[in-house]
Amino acid sequence: MSDQRIFTRYRASEIRTDLQNIDIKKLKSSATKRKNALKKIIANISLGNYGEMLELLPEILSFWQIEDDFEVKRICHEYARSLGSIKPKITDDILPFVLQDLKSRNEHLQIMALRTLVFIPSASFTNEAFKFIISMVNRRNASEELTKTALFALIQLDDLNHNKVTDLFNIIHDTIQQRSDNPSIQVAALHTLYAIHEKHTDMKPLQITVESCFDLVERLSELNEWDKGLLLEALTTAVVPQTHADSYDLIDIVLPQLQHVNTFVVLNTFKFVIYLLNYVDSVSENIVKRLSNSIIALLNKAPELQFLVLRNVILLLLSREKPLLDLDVSYFFVEFNDPIYIKDTKLECLYLLANQDTLSQILEELEQYATDIDIQMSRKAIRAIGNLAVKLDENAATDCFNLLLHLLEFGVDYVVQEIISVFRNILRKYPDKFRSSIREIVKYTDAVQEPESKNAMIWIVTQYADFLPDYITVFEKLNSSFMEDPLEVQFSILNSSIKLFMKFPTPETKQLSGDVLRTCVDMVNNPDLRARALMYQRLIQLANSQYGPYAALDNSLHEIVDSNLPLIELNSKLDPLVLEELALNISSVTSVYLKPTSQIFRLNRTKFLPQSPVLLADKNKLTINDGPSFSRDRADSKAKSLPKRTPTMSDYDKPAEKVNQLRGKMKSSSSSPSKLVRKPSMLMKRLSMKRPF
Amino acid sequence: MINALLIFTARGELVVSKLFKGSMKRSIADIFRIQVINNLDVRSPILTLGSTTFHHIKSTRGDNLWIVAVSRNNVDSAAIWEFLYKLDSLLDSYGLNHEEYLKEEFMIVHELLDVMMCGSGGIPMLTENSLVISRMSVKPSKSILEAQNSGNGSSNTNSNNNNNNVPDLLMSGPKLLRRNSASLSQDLSILTDFKWRPKGIVHKKNEVILHVNERINILVSKDGSVLKAYVDGSIDLETHLSGTPICQFGLNDSLSVSGVDSDMYGSHNHNHHFGDVNFDKTDKKQLSMASVGSVILEDCKFHQCVSLDKFDKDRIIKFVPPDGSMELMKYHVRDNLNLPFKVSPIVTNTRNGTALEYRITMKSLFPGRLSAKNVALHIPVPPNTMDCKINVTNGSCKFIPEESAMIWRFNKFNGLTENTLSAVTIPTKDNTQLSLQQWSKPPMSLDFEILMFSNSGLVVRYFTITERDQKYKAVKWIKYISRSGSYEIRY
Repeated sequence: MSDQRIFTRYRASEIRTDLQNIDIKKLKSSATKRKNALKKIIANISLGNYGEMLELLPEILSFWQIEDDFEVKRICHEYARSLGSIKPKITDDILPFVLQDLKSRNEHLQIMALRTLVFIPSASFTNEAFKFIISMVNRRNASEELTKTALFALIQLDDLNHNKVTDLFNIIHDTIQQRSDNPSIQVAALHTLYAIHEKHTDMKPLQITVESCFDLVERLSELNEWDKGLLLEALTTAVVPQTHADSYDLIDIVLPQLQHVNTFVVLNTFKFVIYLLNYVDSVSENIVKRLSNSIIALLNKAPELQFLVLRNVILLLLSREKPLLDLDVSYFFVEFNDPIYIKDTKLECLYLLANQDTLSQILEELEQYATDIDIQMSRKAIRAIGNLAVKLDENAATDCFNLLLHLLEFGVDYVVQEIISVFRNILRKYPDKFRSSIREIVKYTDAVQEPESKNAMIWIVTQYADFLPDYITVFEKLNSSFMEDPLEVQFSILNSSIKLFMKFPTPETKQLSGDVLRTCVDMVNNPDLRARALMYQRLIQLANSQYGPYAALDNSLHEIVDSNLPLIELNSKLDPLVLEELALNISSVTSVYLKPTSQIFRLNRTKFLPQSPVLLADKNKLTINDGPSFSRDRADSKAKSLPKRTPTMSDYDKPAEKVNQLRGKMKSSSSSPSKLVRKPSMLMKRLSMKRPF
Repeated sequence: MINALLIFTARGELVVSKLFKGSMKRSIADIFRIQVINNLDVRSPILTLGSTTFHHIKSTRGDNLWIVAVSRNNVDSAAIWEFLYKLDSLLDSYGLNHEEYLKEEFMIVHELLDVMMCGSGGIPMLTENSLVISRMSVKPSKSILEAQNSGNGSSNTNSNNNNNNVPDLLMSGPKLLRRNSASLSQDLSILTDFKWRPKGIVHKKNEVILHVNERINILVSKDGSVLKAYVDGSIDLETHLSGTPICQFGLNDSLSVSGVDSDMYGSHNHNHHFGDVNFDKTDKKQLSMASVGSVILEDCKFHQCVSLDKFDKDRIIKFVPPDGSMELMKYHVRDNLNLPFKVSPIVTNTRNGTALEYRITMKSLFPGRLSAKNVALHIPVPPNTMDCKINVTNGSCKFIPEESAMIWRFNKFNGLTENTLSAVTIPTKDNTQLSLQQWSKPPMSLDFEILMFSNSGLVVRYFTITERDQKYKAVKWIKYISRSGSYEIRY
């Protein structure tokens, strides 16, 4: 190793001395020293020390010429790429050296040179790159890797000179057709076309014929994992099945790839199959089963990949009325050491999977999470319980409500806050069902502090004042810190005090609303709040003046202050068009965010289902039949008929052969017996444990 | 696909920045550092700013490096994360996941990336560990490999199921593989020349070890009902075989058991040599006792050398293995499991309500002839506990204040045995802590390892190796290891 550290900032002159000080006679040691000096240059480029490193160009060029060592070449190219793209004026000096490497007989050096050519955005470099690529693609005896590099380079060059690349499209198409000797090259060509089409929304979507698609997928088994993934990714939407048979055959061919260990391959197979299912009218249940099982198996991957899979599960669950997945809820139970992002996503999956059958199981889980150490997790779980109450039927709502009441006793501050906010939604959905519990809820008036829960409490008290004899005292309590409350709470207190007055026009409520109005008008600085208070004041004055043209106003006033709220609905569904697009983007970045591509990547193409005579107009019409399958797979039907029941631990129980009984007394564990106390006889035993020679 | 690849140290020093696109600015690294590394509140492994997306992972072993991929359009996240993990495992095999070494030898990472990615677009092409290493000018040094292998052994026992997809790398074969990664064509017997397997590999002793590793995941609720139970398994292969052998094996999965190859089982069984472990028919019975001898494989995933079409058609696993070690398949089972332990906890408040009383029985349900190693039950206690009074029938149990838990350990736990623990917590005097009702009661969790036991009941029914040479002989070993994944019990 060198005496100096490589990864520190150096001045150009220091490295220069390093490079010059090399003893030519000691060949071996000088080579390592030289390499270390050169490495310092790359390290300094990583550190952002461009100015100094630029001065070393002459040294780099001299080494470029004389050195044959691969590592030195790599350093030279890395130097050229990094500085060439920042300082265009040095590119002319570099070009001849790059071209010289390009002519080399060594394939790896050629690849390196080609990468450098493509990397530097200068016209002369780009032209040379085009020249080389054209000659390369036409030469059939070029190595696989070089040809693929050349094809992929076009994706890059497309940014610099789109027209010139489109001129080459014919050649690329020919490559797909003709290079059947090497499917990997065919895939590279296809991917190049796909990637370029993705970037240019003004181009027509990429299309390939059903025949050439069959040619390609027939050879899936010859491709390596990345090629498989790239192929399936490009084929989605590029091939348009013309008959049902086309789709079924394609599904049959690609289905075994669900068994691949690489998530990239599995999810893209998934995407392709889901896409093809738009071009059939029925699907065998076996396929649904296989898709579901392969998704479940992916949950055994690294956390980041699990996260991606879970996000896609959400997408798939949302995308059809009757989802194509048949998943057991227990896979989405949160584990104690799951990263937080997985916990969140699992929670969302649980929410989506909930129905009458699974509710009790899910609620039991959510109860656990509600008492989780992580505050956000706990809040989300409570929120989920509340949402389930609104989403499902009335019986389910009762279960959820009771669970929430139970959790309320848990008494931790943030849990109470969250539960109160959630109650409001449930009460809005079922205004009459839970009246008996209102008293219980109102007990927590003192605990609410956060704006949302406070608002919720104010709303509940006002709405159910009929059942609260002491509503005035309760309301006074909520009102007590009016001036310190945030604006939204102030609004809510104002509205509710008027509402109470309208409901029960007693002297107390008059006093109350009058106080609030006065405070708002006289002391509040916010013009909106003041204006609203003034509006209410005038309305009441008008209504009270029985004479005059406003006598009928009393009813309208009720309407304005205390009208019926619209029925609460949870907006968990996405726009069907967005869902259709997302289903074509399974496993991509947009599937993580569950947003349309155009919202995240302005320049990317929005995918849509291409027209075909067999395109299913309404995807919910797809029937799942459990009859004899058209496909070869033979998933067993036995498992399906098994009755669903939660097993208990005792089902697995066996009598023990040996039962150890407790003897002796409990001992304190931390105060471990000191070693000194050990009996001398024990000590002897330890010493004599040594083996005899 | 990937426009830039960055590697940071745990503290956020940029060590490798490899750009694949000229329009990418080097300052992109600063953005990541500010937005993710210096931001303590990040809750996601992916970040999109404008149209730039960062996918990141933290290296699983070594110095917790940040490995980051930057991309500009709607790329396939699965591809990127898979790639990052493959890169991580290669960094590991070169010892480059250690900060100091990485700072010296960062050019190896540049070379690795040149080999692994194709072209200037940053498209992953070649990620199989042995193949990548064979094409590198620098090979990982032996000492690193050995250190890492031993490290693997120990880390495997206590790691949870999160990192078990990182393939264990055991490059112990005498020769590294050359050439590239084309996969098998459908009909193996026709092809004589396998590009990725050099001709004329010769080993003195032909040997194959098949490891059946299983992790059981289970969650038991308060009332003893099993909320979830499944087994994630993998079959790892260690091969030292001469020539070009074609391997084939069958499992007792429900779809193939009823099928054709029952006679194969009989005819091939006699030439098995199971080494130290006496793996005869009686043992097979014991392994498969869960069900009527067949297992429903919910799903399985295979290494790319396995012919997927063949499996799909005939449920036969047929392949020409690369020399060295690899993960051949992963599978997932949920029905008819063999649960190895039954833990029944009773946790009650003491009379004055300030402390907890535990009474836990732990019973092993596997056959009496077997025994489990490294059994540890992690029993959480409330945070305000000062000490615990413990009495156990066997094993040793200690209170670990740092973890707020008691740990009950057994070096060896025999089959069909029941042990009991009883304990009382001693709380601190100060009452400012949360009350017992508010304690969230994290589940108890159990760790263990059992040799020659299969949680799922999966058994390798036959395993044959054929080569053109008729006299070809190979020693075949099959080892079963069942471990705990997340084995949690609520109370």
